[in-house]
Amino acid sequence: MSAEAGGRLFFPRWANLARPALAVALVVVPAYLVLLLAYGASPRTINVGYQPHQPVPYSHALHAGQLGIDCRYCHTTVEKAAFAAVPPTQTCMNCHSKIRAASAKLLPIRESYATGLPVPWVKVHDLPDFVYFDHSAHVRRGVGCVECHGRVDKMEVVAQVHRLSMGWCLDCHRQPDRHLRPPELVTKMEWVPPEDPLVYGRRLREATKINPSTDCWTCHR
Amino acid sequence: MAPRWLVYALVLLAALSVVPFALIARSRASTSAQPHIQLILDMAKQPKLKTQTSNPLFADSRAMRPRVAGTVARGELEEDSAVWSGRDGGNWVTAFPVPVTERLMHRGQERYDIFCAPCHGLAGYGDGPVAKRADALQEGTWTPPSSYHTDLVRGRPVGHLFNTITYGIRNMSEYGSQIPVEDRWAIVLYVRALQRSQDASVGDVPPELRRQLR
Repeated sequence: MSAEAGGRLFFPRWANLARPALAVALVVVPAYLVLLLAYGASPRTINVGYQPHQPVPYSHALHAGQLGIDCRYCHTTVEKAAFAAVPPTQTCMNCHSKIRAASAKLLPIRESYATGLPVPWVKVHDLPDFVYFDHSAHVRRGVGCVECHGRVDKMEVVAQVHRLSMGWCLDCHRQPDRHLRPPELVTKMEWVPPEDPLVYGRRLREATKINPSTDCWTCHR
Repeated sequence: MAPRWLVYALVLLAALSVVPFALIARSRASTSAQPHIQLILDMAKQPKLKTQTSNPLFADSRAMRPRVAGTVARGELEEDSAVWSGRDGGNWVTAFPVPVTERLMHRGQERYDIFCAPCHGLAGYGDGPVAKRADALQEGTWTPPSSYHTDLVRGRPVGHLFNTITYGIRNMSEYGSQIPVEDRWAIVLYVRALQRSQDASVGDVPPELRRQLR
């Protein structure tokens, strides 16, 4: 590497590359880190695809899809409250006291029913605590369940399919037309607008005077 | 020219720099049961109790406390016995104790399709998808839901139908906690409409429309 000549240390000629190499590294390395963070820490990467294990292998594909039970049969509070409640065990037992009444998969349900202790369902779509999302405000104005939750009626195990990030919310609050439908059809997951969604949605928005706010305090109280 | 080992190291570094992106791309294309990574917590998890969360202070771990026994929630004082129980004194009410409007009928149709149609079927013959599945599974514990279109059910007073929704009957569970009282009356109204629709005679058709009947 270095050559000793007369007691002095000489750097090899290629060591002159160190200075331009350092300059390049100062640009490339931060750019690399920024790209890595933007890609790896984006809501699309971090939020989407969360599919927790549930205490009971409840299939929305069977109940909401194949049997066609309306979302509101179980999530009864969604039209009136901010929170779309997970149903009490009683709702499960409406049917499962008679259908599949001895199923091993339903053991936690029967235990909960007998003891009165809640089934520890795991929340999938979990917004930060500083966000005050209101289901009723959206559902009653014709934002379908599918717009945020995806095709739950095709999911064996529910997973998050949308980012649910602030930018994602604002996209719709700024331009909601594509996501609107007649409020009586909010739970119909397979529904598609009869014409161009933008045209159809704009007409709905103008008829119902929907005017989503983009003020901070709309979501952050 | 730089020595060979340095060139190799730089090439290796460049190659390895792709690996994190590949790992991220793989995680984006798959699902995970692991909770989200919170890079910046920023009050995203606050020590407050939200709807249906848990609170270890209580033995049942419910943050939402059950109603205290003997108390009445606002709007749930059962003042009018006919409205709240379908009974007038000891007898079933036979006339609707709430105003019958077209709006109530539409509400009843919507609520019926949500809560009743899974078993009773959209037209009330007891042939809903859940009933059909129970039949297909040959569940010994299952009794098929009643059809509304029998003389017995047609003859039931509205108060009796209301009571059936509220407290259940035979195999049917109670729906009083799932369906608010005004919606239960709306459903009773719609059930009456279903019964009428399946038991109509020529006399029910307006004279000017009768000619269109074939």
